Amino acid sequence: MPTPRSLRRQNPITFVLAGILCIGFFIFFFSSNDTPSVSAHSGSRQMASNVLSPPSLPFRKSKANEAQKPPPVMHYYMNNVTQSRTPAENEEKVLILTPLARFYQEYWDNLVKIQYPHDLISLAFIIPKTKEGNAAYAALQTQVTKLQKGPNKKRFASVTILRQDTESPLQSQNEAERHKIENQKSRRAAMAKARNSLLFTTLGPTTSWVFWLDADIVEFPPTIIQDLAAYDADIIAPNCYQRYYDDKKKAMDIRPYDFNNWIDSPTAKELAAKMGKDDILLEGYAEMPTYRSLMAMMYDPAADPGTKVKLDGVGGAALLVKADVHRDGAMFPAFSFYHLIETEGFAKMAHRLNRESYGLPNYLVYHYNE
Amino acid sequence: MFRPPLPPHLPSLLHHRHSWRHDANSYCRCRFQPRSQPALRRRRQLIQRLLLVASLFFTGVFFFFPNLRPNLGSGPLSFFTSSEDSQLETVRYYDLNNVQGTARGWEREERILLCAPLRDAAQHLDMFFGHLKNLTYPHNLIDLAFLVGDSKDNTLPKLNALLEDLQADANPKQHFGEISILEKDFGQKVDQNVESRHGFAAQAGRRKSMAQARNWLLSAALRPTHSWVYWRDVDVETAPFTILEDLMRHNKDIIVPNVWRPLPDWLGGEQPYDLNSWQESETALALADTLDEDAVIVEGYAEYATWRPHLAYLRDPYGDPDMEMEIDGVGGVSILAKAKVFRQGVHFPAFSFEKHAETEGFGKMAKRMKFSVVGLPHYTIWHLYEPSVDDIRHMEEMEKERKAKEAEEAAKKERMEKIKDQFDSKSSDWEREKAEVQNLVQKAKNEEKEKEKQEKAKAEQAKQEKPKEEVKEAGEQAKRADNFLEPEEIHEARGVDEKQKLEPKQ
Repeated sequence: MPTPRSLRRQNPITFVLAGILCIGFFIFFFSSNDTPSVSAHSGSRQMASNVLSPPSLPFRKSKANEAQKPPPVMHYYMNNVTQSRTPAENEEKVLILTPLARFYQEYWDNLVKIQYPHDLISLAFIIPKTKEGNAAYAALQTQVTKLQKGPNKKRFASVTILRQDTESPLQSQNEAERHKIENQKSRRAAMAKARNSLLFTTLGPTTSWVFWLDADIVEFPPTIIQDLAAYDADIIAPNCYQRYYDDKKKAMDIRPYDFNNWIDSPTAKELAAKMGKDDILLEGYAEMPTYRSLMAMMYDPAADPGTKVKLDGVGGAALLVKADVHRDGAMFPAFSFYHLIETEGFAKMAHRLNRESYGLPNYLVYHYNE
Repeated sequence: MFRPPLPPHLPSLLHHRHSWRHDANSYCRCRFQPRSQPALRRRRQLIQRLLLVASLFFTGVFFFFPNLRPNLGSGPLSFFTSSEDSQLETVRYYDLNNVQGTARGWEREERILLCAPLRDAAQHLDMFFGHLKNLTYPHNLIDLAFLVGDSKDNTLPKLNALLEDLQADANPKQHFGEISILEKDFGQKVDQNVESRHGFAAQAGRRKSMAQARNWLLSAALRPTHSWVYWRDVDVETAPFTILEDLMRHNKDIIVPNVWRPLPDWLGGEQPYDLNSWQESETALALADTLDEDAVIVEGYAEYATWRPHLAYLRDPYGDPDMEMEIDGVGGVSILAKAKVFRQGVHFPAFSFEKHAETEGFGKMAKRMKFSVVGLPHYTIWHLYEPSVDDIRHMEEMEKERKAKEAEEAAKKERMEKIKDQFDSKSSDWEREKAEVQNLVQKAKNEEKEKEKQEKAKAEQAKQEKPKEEVKEAGEQAKRADNFLEPEEIHEARGVDEKQKLEPKQ
């Protein structure tokens, strides 16, 4: 009688069963409920296994007790990075770039409302190291930490925040008009460098679209990315307006704001031909009448909202660019490029690379009004 | 006196014994009577079963109702407790002021991005990885980025295998940082063979598509952590292991070494290779003004005489390797540039920028943005020598010449041999004749002896047996000429043939 019992107790099968049960118990007990959903998306929604990875991808934190492994060999199939008319359906990644000098809560609220799968959107900001920039940085950080904490539907794929000293020299406002234009040039050059720094450090190998959005754009249709991408244009800009209170009409009204979206004119070309190599043409200066056709002036609420015009110069307020345009080398010149600088020079450089810019005069985004 | 104390002793002793016996008895019962055990065991089994049922129950409950699972927080079991999703880090902060690039980057742990565009480069990869392994700059600070496009050979699998080996190295100091392989086909039609690569007509288009590939590579691989970017062609044959530090020490925005290539001796031993590093000249600027917007000036072709001072031609093998020279166009074989140059927008124009494209346009654009562009005329790296079509033709001619010479030599040798053979055959003739003479003498002697014994009619029989005797007697008699008979006969046969042929000449 006692022998079979002890045998039964020490039977290896008992141990094996207990072991299996234990393992199963641990797996079911400790594995979380949303693991399957993560693995289901791992194909298109990539993540990196190492800190050394494109900033446009989220990465898995390495644990303190984990052995340090050498970074893996990563393959990126850039032939598969497409730019189609239906980006959300094709799971195309969008990088939203904002040079940030001042943080507006309205900007952030509007950005979070964007109706494009947030796990396909990466955000990147570049903030100058000034007093104002520090304040903006703190405000942005608060909002970002709040939104990106833990898994939730609104969380963006990744957020990159860059800081950099501005090269912009002190601007002397008491100088003559000519100097004002000079100041404008150095300001735009610094802006161009900031844009390029932001772009080329965050673009990465997986981005399909780059959406440039200024920090003072506070209102646009939430489907703006799908709407603009549907035109299948290399570079496409909506019309930038501003809401204001019209004292005469005693009502809210809108007025044109961004004058950098234009179609070139013979007058401007003549002006440019007479200029020195490093001089630039600027829009909106009385002493430099260019007679260019400004998209800001083409807005017609009665006309077809889908109207598209070809542009020679673009502004940076809101701009959807195929990532391939930037990859081919189109950047924001910080020097006089065909007498153009920054975003206007960008349109020209893209044109030299056989990439065309378009504008939507009747599709409005709104600038902040102080 | 003895008795009275005895009785009290005895009972105590008896008592003692009794108690001892009792103790022993109880001890024995403990050890050998397992009566109380089954109950305890049964209870233990009950506990086990209860635990089992409970764990099964909870497993079931947690399986079907995942919301009821308790959150145990992080700890040693954090691998199980927290999901992949909450382990994700999505926010990154960078300060670009920290990655401006300094002269002593290896001390400040400055990261370098090493870029290499590849196309049909499988045969050079082993050499290239040899160079990589030998670099003295800390490997963990070097990020590698490769763009493989339009390759028809096995560049990609080979590259992958080499990189995997590199990261699996037993020595952790050999491991590099981030490694990206970007696959992108641009659909270029241009052939990659030496002739079409360097033909003048193909240059503009080729340079533009090369520029495009470089830009794609850089824009996909540049990170906010990089202080330097190093461009390196895979077909560099010899370069110092310390090249990164050597170039970095100069603390220039863009710096290139001199690039030469070794040549076969018949071509002069060595030759300047990279003619794209040059200083601008008035002639070239004037020429640029006459060309149309999309034209691209390329160096090293007779079509564009630019009279520019080239870095390559200024080399002095014994010159100071630290000597610097301001340049305007740069060659792409080995460029070290501060990452801020690329961050601020300088790239390889895939269009005609001030009449230049790719690396030369890169130099021009950097100059335009006030960056320092410098070449080191006496610091040389060596490019692989790939013979050009002309060289190949020349080499073929040389080969032909060599073969002709060889054939001639062979003929001469043969003739010498023939002459020698003839000489040999003469001597063998002589030997043979001598042997024959001796034979004849012997025969005569034999005949004389036989004449006495045999009739003249039997002389014919004796003649048939002669060969046997001949061999025997030749072996016995001509000890000097032993074994000579057979080869000599062959020689003689050939010798006779040739003698007849050569006779007219003689």
